[in-house]
Amino acid sequence: MADEKSRRLPSQEKMLLDYLRRLEDHKSDRQAVHLLLSNLKSYNRREHHIRAAANSFEQLIKEMQGQLFLLENSDLFFFFKTDVRGQVETIIQKIRFLFGDDPLLESEDDGDESNFTVWYDADEQYEDILKLIQGLVNVKAQKRSHARARMDTRAALKARQREGEPLTPEVLAKVETALERADLSNLVRRQYICRIDSQMIPEQSFSEMFISIADLRETMIPGVNLVSNRWLFQHLTESLDLRMLSLLSKTDSYTISGDISFNANVATLLSPEFQDFDDNISAAKRGSMIVELQMIDIFSDLGSYLFAREYMQDKGYRVCIDGLTHKTLPLIERERLGADLIKLVWHPEMIDGGEDIQENVRAMVKRTNPARVILSRVDNREAIDFGHSIGIGLFQGHYVENLIAEDNRRRELLKLKRRMERAAQEADELDAF
Amino acid sequence: MATSGSLISVPGGEISIEETMLLDRLRLLKASDKGYYVVHMHLSSLRPGNRKPHFIKIAMRNFDDLLANFNVTLYCLTTDDIVLLCKDVPVEEIDPVIQKTRQLFSEDPLTDGEDGSIDDKFTSWYDFSNQEDLKTFIEIANELTVQALLQKKKPEDSKPMNSLAGARLGPTSTAEIQRSLQRVNMEDLIDEQTCIIVYPDEKGLVMFREKFVSMRALQKRVAPDVNLFGSPWLFLFLTETVDRRLLAILSQGNFASLKNHISLNLNISSVLGREFQHFHQSVGNNTDKVVIEFQLIDVFSDMNSYGNARDMLQDLGYRVLIDGLSPLSLQFFDPSQLMADLIKISWGQEFESDDAEERVEDMRQVIQGMGKDRVILGRTDSENAVKWALSLGITRFQGFYIDNLVDVMQLKGIL
Repeated sequence: MADEKSRRLPSQEKMLLDYLRRLEDHKSDRQAVHLLLSNLKSYNRREHHIRAAANSFEQLIKEMQGQLFLLENSDLFFFFKTDVRGQVETIIQKIRFLFGDDPLLESEDDGDESNFTVWYDADEQYEDILKLIQGLVNVKAQKRSHARARMDTRAALKARQREGEPLTPEVLAKVETALERADLSNLVRRQYICRIDSQMIPEQSFSEMFISIADLRETMIPGVNLVSNRWLFQHLTESLDLRMLSLLSKTDSYTISGDISFNANVATLLSPEFQDFDDNISAAKRGSMIVELQMIDIFSDLGSYLFAREYMQDKGYRVCIDGLTHKTLPLIERERLGADLIKLVWHPEMIDGGEDIQENVRAMVKRTNPARVILSRVDNREAIDFGHSIGIGLFQGHYVENLIAEDNRRRELLKLKRRMERAAQEADELDAF
Repeated sequence: MATSGSLISVPGGEISIEETMLLDRLRLLKASDKGYYVVHMHLSSLRPGNRKPHFIKIAMRNFDDLLANFNVTLYCLTTDDIVLLCKDVPVEEIDPVIQKTRQLFSEDPLTDGEDGSIDDKFTSWYDFSNQEDLKTFIEIANELTVQALLQKKKPEDSKPMNSLAGARLGPTSTAEIQRSLQRVNMEDLIDEQTCIIVYPDEKGLVMFREKFVSMRALQKRVAPDVNLFGSPWLFLFLTETVDRRLLAILSQGNFASLKNHISLNLNISSVLGREFQHFHQSVGNNTDKVVIEFQLIDVFSDMNSYGNARDMLQDLGYRVLIDGLSPLSLQFFDPSQLMADLIKISWGQEFESDDAEERVEDMRQVIQGMGKDRVILGRTDSENAVKWALSLGITRFQGFYIDNLVDVMQLKGIL
């Protein structure tokens, strides 16, 4: 019952409370019955049971004779006009019959007051009803916050066990000091951004160079979760940026082929270190470089971003906004941000989340030039099919890496096959000779 | 000869000699010296947010080639203005560089006019073959020197928050500060600022009082030698601890007898933590008296957490406010989609400039999308700002100017 839609709506308890407040002025000739389905055995409290009980009131609701509220604990509250009391009693009889095998109903006869039904006269017992409902609303709120606290501790414990100790400023200080000296060249990873055709054959467009956070953690501070606090992590990325710049400027130790992208904070691009980096690379090289900026960084200081973007694009670099999700994409006026490319993080919800989300993403991508959108963190075929269906041409992620590997194998095989054919041909020719 | 002036340090303070060098050079120019002209770039008129020192430094580097290849001297003045003194340099060589510089600041209204056009506020040109021009510019240079001296004397307090004195905040100092934040007495540092609703009959109503820990005072207490705003990320990290302390202190209050509604500026993570639970228990049935403010940057950093926090708070009866919106940020996203109860937009001079039509149009759309009763103008610092906002239908205000207004209204008994 607690599906995505009803969770976002105000709770039935609150709606009931609102209804009661509105009822105050015309409560004469109204009655209510409280069906305590919550007292039933759990095997009688499955969703379809509750649904069936609730549906019994449908006719009266359609005729505007009454209003039904289904509470979170499965209890039903039905308010009706006194005229239809007879019909309501018949309905209650039917519902009792529905749960006839439950110990709750076996042990009692169908008197007015029972553990199963409580009748109210809205006029005379208004205050009683109000108190009861207010109580239910409060219990619900408390329960929720307790459940959340348990979840908090539990989730934190689970994260600690799985991801390691949370990052503290002390540890961050150590890591950053160590970073200044460490040779990170063996931690640099490369992932390709590819066009992918309908046969799933990838064609490389450019590659992203990045420092693997997982490997960095393993080499430097095993047991610490570097991403546990996003603000501290964001600070760490500023140090990583500088290391990346120094790695990129030692191009001879690298054989970087094709266009490449790398992550940077806006603050890094405006730093003296970047000026030095920029002084030492050729204009042609700038044209082959793409800087990836995180949305959170951009919005933390839009003025600096706009300045840096002008500066970078004027120098010949391209700018890519990284880390947009199907939730943030519709919010952002991407055109005005003036980036050359954007990266949209793939999420299964783009398909499973329903028509609305799908349409939203489609419309947004269409409005942005789809050729400038990269679907990133692609980990299955479904993502690529979805991307193709909304016009996205560029993809990045583990699945793309697999496709590249597969394509390489296919090419190798093809080469081998040709070589064998040629050998066979030569052998034939020799034979013929 | 291509040269660039420099700064020197003298005992008793740093005095820029750029201005002096410029004046000396101008005095030596004789009527017989041909081919001289000056381009004066008025970077000092940029909006403060666009006039950061590293921006100016980057802008200056645009001129490196020019300085190396032509007879050009660059003076970077204390006010951030740039003066190019050129001899026999073809204007075609200067134009593209100025254009590039203009482009860097393209978000600023200062750069809206075309080079040399009547509404060009970015550059002024003086051709010294005309004695009148030389005379005028010498006067201007004198004036700029006076301004430089005045600027040096400006007290620390008038500078923006993020230029507080002290060492840059780093992870090590963050660790120390965090430890003292957990212990230090904070209760007396809790300040409040009133948000009011202004009615057409000039009467006002308190909408809520924002409770906050004064960061300037907190810095004095826990880290007088460190600039807390030196790193935006580490600062945000520290606010998580401040949140916890603030919530703990406010939990001791009696919410049933609370006269005015209050608001708190919190991290989203703080709302999902234990301290907020205690706070919530203390608030009890009075959640409608409490507004929870989130920073836009926090919202963007994790939309899922924001969605959960917002739904939870709204379910419990709190109102959710998105803070940290500016004239600039409104150009890049539509806040009504965040489904918050309220938004707070900081007043900025951008709304006031002659060419603000586009920005005002953004604002109109936001007001339309949100409904005018859900928009608050923050950092309201002048009567003009209030008038301007009222003309757009905004009636909810907060800021220094409002603080004074609140005092006056209370005296008159109309609040």
